[in-house]
Amino acid sequence: MPELSKMKKPDVKVVLLGDMNVGKTSLLHRYTERKFKDTISTVGGAFFLKQWGPYNISIWDTAGREQFHGLGSMYCRGAAAVILTYDVTNWQSLAELEERFLSLTDTANHDCIYAIVGNKADLTDPNAQLSQDSDGVSQDQTECEEERTEPQVLSACPTPPASPASLSGMVLHKQVTHEDAVALYGRILRYKGLEEKSSLPAEKVCFETSAKTGYNVDTLFETLFDLVLPSILRKRNENQESPTVDLEECRGASSKRAKSTCC
Amino acid sequence: MERDNHQEGEAQGVKICDSPSESNPPADTLATSLSLLGNHMFPDPVERNDGTTVVKEEPADLHLSDVTAQEQSLDAEHVSNQVKKLETEAAENSECQNNESTETTERGTEDAAIDNDQSDSGEFVVTMLAKAKLEEQGIGVKGRSSPLLEAGTQESPAFMSHRDEDVTADSWRQHRKHVFVLSEAGKPIYSRYGSEEALSSTMGVMMALVSFVQSSDNIIRSVYSEEHTVVFLQKGPLVLVCVSSSRQSEQQLRGELLYVYYQIISMLTQASISRIFEHKKNYDLRRLLAGSEKILDGLLNLVDSDPSFLLAAIHCLPLASSLRDSLSQILQKAITPNLVFSILIAKNQLLTIVQEKTVIEDTRLEPADVHLLLNLIGASSAFQAGEIWTPICLPLFNPDCYFYAYISYLDPPECTVCLLLLSTDKEAFYAVAECKRKIEEAMVAQNSLSLIAKAQSYSVSQVGVSDLRHFMYKPFDVPDNYRQLTQFTSPEMEAPYSSEGEKMRLLDLYRYMHSRIHSTSRPLKLIYHVAERETLLAWVTSKFELYTCFSPLVTKACAITAITKLLRWIKKEEDRLFIRYPPKYSTTPNPSKSSRGGKSDQQDSTDNGFLSLL
Repeated sequence: MPELSKMKKPDVKVVLLGDMNVGKTSLLHRYTERKFKDTISTVGGAFFLKQWGPYNISIWDTAGREQFHGLGSMYCRGAAAVILTYDVTNWQSLAELEERFLSLTDTANHDCIYAIVGNKADLTDPNAQLSQDSDGVSQDQTECEEERTEPQVLSACPTPPASPASLSGMVLHKQVTHEDAVALYGRILRYKGLEEKSSLPAEKVCFETSAKTGYNVDTLFETLFDLVLPSILRKRNENQESPTVDLEECRGASSKRAKSTCC
Repeated sequence: MERDNHQEGEAQGVKICDSPSESNPPADTLATSLSLLGNHMFPDPVERNDGTTVVKEEPADLHLSDVTAQEQSLDAEHVSNQVKKLETEAAENSECQNNESTETTERGTEDAAIDNDQSDSGEFVVTMLAKAKLEEQGIGVKGRSSPLLEAGTQESPAFMSHRDEDVTADSWRQHRKHVFVLSEAGKPIYSRYGSEEALSSTMGVMMALVSFVQSSDNIIRSVYSEEHTVVFLQKGPLVLVCVSSSRQSEQQLRGELLYVYYQIISMLTQASISRIFEHKKNYDLRRLLAGSEKILDGLLNLVDSDPSFLLAAIHCLPLASSLRDSLSQILQKAITPNLVFSILIAKNQLLTIVQEKTVIEDTRLEPADVHLLLNLIGASSAFQAGEIWTPICLPLFNPDCYFYAYISYLDPPECTVCLLLLSTDKEAFYAVAECKRKIEEAMVAQNSLSLIAKAQSYSVSQVGVSDLRHFMYKPFDVPDNYRQLTQFTSPEMEAPYSSEGEKMRLLDLYRYMHSRIHSTSRPLKLIYHVAERETLLAWVTSKFELYTCFSPLVTKACAITAITKLLRWIKKEEDRLFIRYPPKYSTTPNPSKSSRGGKSDQQDSTDNGFLSLL
């Protein structure tokens, strides 16, 4: 048993970022525990190790609260993928990604993959209300289109309460469309100085999910894991030489001396 | 001199404004409504402290103690006012919250400055209080009927956020203890019940009260009424207010507010709070605290139900000293640079704590800091499989800088045994996580988890003293020559104190005994108190503080004998009941000193004498 735990060195790091109450913890919980439950506001960041086939993927679930903003760049250091999460019923949560969270990703790997995830899709989209765990990415585009034809129910409150009304079938006004997310992705690439052509296309990395019903959640994580696979392999090859320090430190592990360099 | 403010209910309705200038009109209204109400609500004019109490200062006749406000002008219009004592700093009046307002005299009148506005200010105060009161008192019902008031009712819960309680409902007023936190600009930061938005005008009134008293160079400390005690605490740019019907002493309530303040500091640090407000006086601190309400809620629930807070001491889980030692050794061996505290917790009680020795040579962790940590852990346990890494400030250790806390459960999925490692290095997560692996391995090797699982609190019957139902024993400095974490020991609460209500009743009795013992005006060493359904004896010496609860018919002599036996038993069990020699380790050739020491000198941090050592 101890042997086992020792073996679990993370191969790659994935970070969940986004404003508070968008459902980062719930997404991760849905993926790892297969259920949806009430969560409380995350304190700092929580580290999870996910076994994915032969690989160990570390996932940082960070607090969205402004209070913990200072730690963000530490969580992102050396990240191979960053999941920027917003709430489809809350425009501000998308805006915050750009204003507050994007700069935190400066410490991520240069080839880091950025995914833009609109959670709480069950609130706006009848399709997402069905508990289905694996839908193709393509499907969410169709949803998006449907969404526009939907009757719009105006909601007075910008941030819907944590326990949504999806069970009752009520549909909330969708404030953020898929196109908005795609546009944000374009701006992120520009911010990072990346060519759109050479980067992943937006449709591969923009998702709409529901942690509550499980809609698209597995798709999200598994697509991402597939996408970071090359960096896992490269990392394994490079062995100790990698410039991304943290994980290496951890790998170098048992000798305490090595660690002092990590700051 | 006395007016009745009693209409708290009404008061609600009245719109009060925050600035004195505007106070007039409302005051009039109030006065009117007061007079309407006054008579029937309080038949006896004097001395019942009814709710409100405002206090102004008055010379001797009322009991009130000190205070700045003047009352004269008011009398005219109203009927009976009763109560009032605003105590300002000067006056500590201890025990009499209720009726005994003894010392009045010396506080002379300090009204001097205020003459001409007297009337205004007087009314202003009244209004304020009345307003403030509203929240506290359930009463007020009558007031509501008065047409005058209606206009003012501002709290329409149009948009309820996290707590949906209707703040206009009686049930809201009847909560035993309300706690409000606001900024000096009067912005709501936290309310224990109801949403801050709905309470913003109420909080504005509280702030107005504070500033009104302040304007005459005084500090408002408390307001007493028959059923409620309102306690104010100002800390830097924050104002904390407690409205309680719990009959606790002002000191105790203030101590609880201080815990709330510390919990906020533990999340943001004192330095950053002052910086923020220096920058922008009307900053909405909820931005930074959003999401932390549950931590504060949890703290207040603990404060109400856990005597650790009252005693300012840690309750550790009784454990064979050999087991405790072996756990300590495991922690001692799993270290990394900049690690400063390793803490093991089971069932929310401390198992052991190991601290770095160079940095923290002469200091110890304050119980309050440990309480805040335990509360944080309780509140962050929602997602227990992960390893948490979060900044946390230990306000009594150093209110201005962060530690980084690693929190992980060692026994998922049960999640009763929790490891907490504190480092001064923000980036040390992976190194610290590695310490946890080592600790985990060692614990598996020694089968520690199953041993810990068997540990439990004890029953009072083990003491073997008949008639003894419960006790709390807090030694000072165990063992004698060792500066150590302040601890106390206490058996489980068993029948007749097994229901929640009865537990609370016993705790209330203890709180009462505690307030008598620690009364500032008339501290006592030994109290024998015959209550309705039990007899209590509290005793403080230079070596310990002890609270005992006996069956009702025990005589004083019996109780004393019983206590002698109890003390003997505790002495015998001491190694099991307390963490005796907290072990230390050394993780730092030199590094963390700088991080801590450097920051500390710039701060005023009053009570951390040790900082100068670093």
